[in-house]
Amino acid sequence: MTVATERRRGERRRPAHREWPGFEMGERLGALRVVVCTGSGGVGKTTISAALAMSIAATQDARVLVLTVDPAKRLASALGIKGIGADPVTISRARLRRAGLPARGEVVAAMLDMKSAWDNMVERYSPDRRSAERILKNRFYQRISDAFVGSHEYAAMEALYELHEAGEYDCVVVDTPPSRNALDFLEAPARLTDYVGARLLSWLAGPSGVGLRAMNFAATPFLRLADRLLGGDVLSEVSDFVRQLQGLYGGVQKRARDVYRLLRSPQVGFVVVTTLEPGPFAEAEFFAAKLREYTMPLRGMVVNRVLPPTLREPSSAAAATTLADDPRIVEWIAQHLGERYAPDAVRGVGRIHLMFNALAQRDARALAKLERIAEVPVSRIPLFTDDVSELEGLVRIAGLL
Amino acid sequence: MVFVTGKGGTGKTTVAAALALLAARAGKRVLAVDVEAKGDLAAALGGGAVRFTPQALQRGIYAIALQAEESFQEYLGLYFKVPRLARMTPLARVFDFIATGVPGPRDMLVVGKIAYEERRRDKSGRPAWDIIIVDAASSGHVVSHLAAARAMLTLVRGGVIHSQVEWIDELVRDDSRSTVLLTALPEEMPVVEAIELGARLRSEAGISVSGCVLNRMVLVSVSPSQRRLAAALNRDSDAEEVRHRLGGDPAPFVESVQLASQLHDRSAEYARQLRAGLPAPVVPVPLETASRSGLAMARAVADALAKDGT
Repeated sequence: MTVATERRRGERRRPAHREWPGFEMGERLGALRVVVCTGSGGVGKTTISAALAMSIAATQDARVLVLTVDPAKRLASALGIKGIGADPVTISRARLRRAGLPARGEVVAAMLDMKSAWDNMVERYSPDRRSAERILKNRFYQRISDAFVGSHEYAAMEALYELHEAGEYDCVVVDTPPSRNALDFLEAPARLTDYVGARLLSWLAGPSGVGLRAMNFAATPFLRLADRLLGGDVLSEVSDFVRQLQGLYGGVQKRARDVYRLLRSPQVGFVVVTTLEPGPFAEAEFFAAKLREYTMPLRGMVVNRVLPPTLREPSSAAAATTLADDPRIVEWIAQHLGERYAPDAVRGVGRIHLMFNALAQRDARALAKLERIAEVPVSRIPLFTDDVSELEGLVRIAGLL
Repeated sequence: MVFVTGKGGTGKTTVAAALALLAARAGKRVLAVDVEAKGDLAAALGGGAVRFTPQALQRGIYAIALQAEESFQEYLGLYFKVPRLARMTPLARVFDFIATGVPGPRDMLVVGKIAYEERRRDKSGRPAWDIIIVDAASSGHVVSHLAAARAMLTLVRGGVIHSQVEWIDELVRDDSRSTVLLTALPEEMPVVEAIELGARLRSEAGISVSGCVLNRMVLVSVSPSQRRLAAALNRDSDAEEVRHRLGGDPAPFVESVQLASQLHDRSAEYARQLRAGLPAPVVPVPLETASRSGLAMARAVADALAKDGT
């Protein structure tokens, strides 16, 4: 085969966007209906979610929604999001193209409204309007929907499921809330069902219509204790809430099952985002293992803020050590390079490089480990020293994914 | 008592561990408290898992982790003289459920236990600890912990609890005995959150923040002559000779110098924003510390904090 024919063949196989780098992650995830981005707080999850949505829109004619949780101001303004509860913002194909994305589809950006996700859930599952209102007005509910461990995660999950069911978008990319533990997201529906359905709670609520306050306090040490601890008003409010909540049980339980079924379906993929710092990195490893355990499909990993690989060169560390530690090097430089530099300046350059070299070596060790254990493609995003404040910045990351 | 808190990922555990090391170096008896009980604080202090009873990790440093069920049991034991119940699990679970929803109890477990340790005396009558350093919950949760006593006071107007809670509230708001230290990074969200958190602690818990540790700062600036030097070391004409004399390849210096200069500008800008928004001293910790891990990182941060002197 001649070189010429080989080249012609290659050209024919090129997809339309060949002149653009990357978008491989978008291509891999493009067929999915739901992409869930998880990882520790502070690793740039929201930014990566938005860039993933763009990467998907670059590879196919799809309407891709990115559901963000708590975007930084600059990122929100880059996406055009006005605030919580605001309408979703469509970033048109033309607008994406102007920002440099070879878009075939469009991206819609929205911000999750936790409170209304919970209220919607109560309204949906309440047997009637009156009991819904009773719950919504309950002080205990107002507090629990905010403080309940995993409540934000549950709200995100609910919103995700609703959007998926409504089918308005070809693909929904969801950014998960910054949890204490990435698992909170996966465990939120089960935990809620657990609470709502716990036998002890039925017992707490008492025989139907009777309620806690009517029970004989002296009979149960727990109630005596609880009353002493919390005060009677609180307990009666709790018991009222629990009784109301039981009406929701069937609905909540079914929903939790449906959500888990969706998360395990072939239409869904998880993407774990991490940096190479020890904390987030360990969390990402743990989470990837958990996904396997739950038989939920991990489709890719994104390593954010990777230092340039050239910085790790061991030979450059030796050179930097000479600048930092060899006092005679100043004179040698003056003689051989024709300019005299202050000794502090010379030492400084050596030290700066030694610092980045050490950090880059840490990166390299972590990356090597990740590539050994990851069974999915790993995408590396270099450290950008400026915050993403324009659509162009997101497009640049989308290209690298 | 020093509560260390900040947005997740800003290095609060390492800073808490570093403070514990510094205090121990000064000869103090330190109790390090891991509120979220993920075991990170013990790891940063070079130890394995710790439980609810103080356990020695380093010379002068003891650590505990606050697990919900255990704290519940001890709470009952400490304050209400309730004997340990044989089968607590279902009960604790119900309590957990209620406590999550009602302002106060759950958070009281945390702050109550810490306050109890603050008050504890040894056999000779002197305080059991010279200093208690708390790796507290991150941003939002720490406000509810510290404001728990105050919230309880409005809820419970008399009885055993009232007096218990009253002294805890006094303790956390007493600047001479209790303080909050924030952590942040020179990035948009961590700085915004640190400023907001400082304001919320003041308004919701009546607590003022004593300072903010700004981690991963590039503090050295890059001069024009240093840029020239990095470029000159890479001139083609002298390449062989330079490599030989330096004992290695100076090519990546250009990139390092460039990166240092950008990160330095960014560090300075966010430090300025933080200082403008937070009425407390800001203590920078250099990026160098980030290339280590565990105890070595905590030691490096401790050295950096000691050097700053604030």
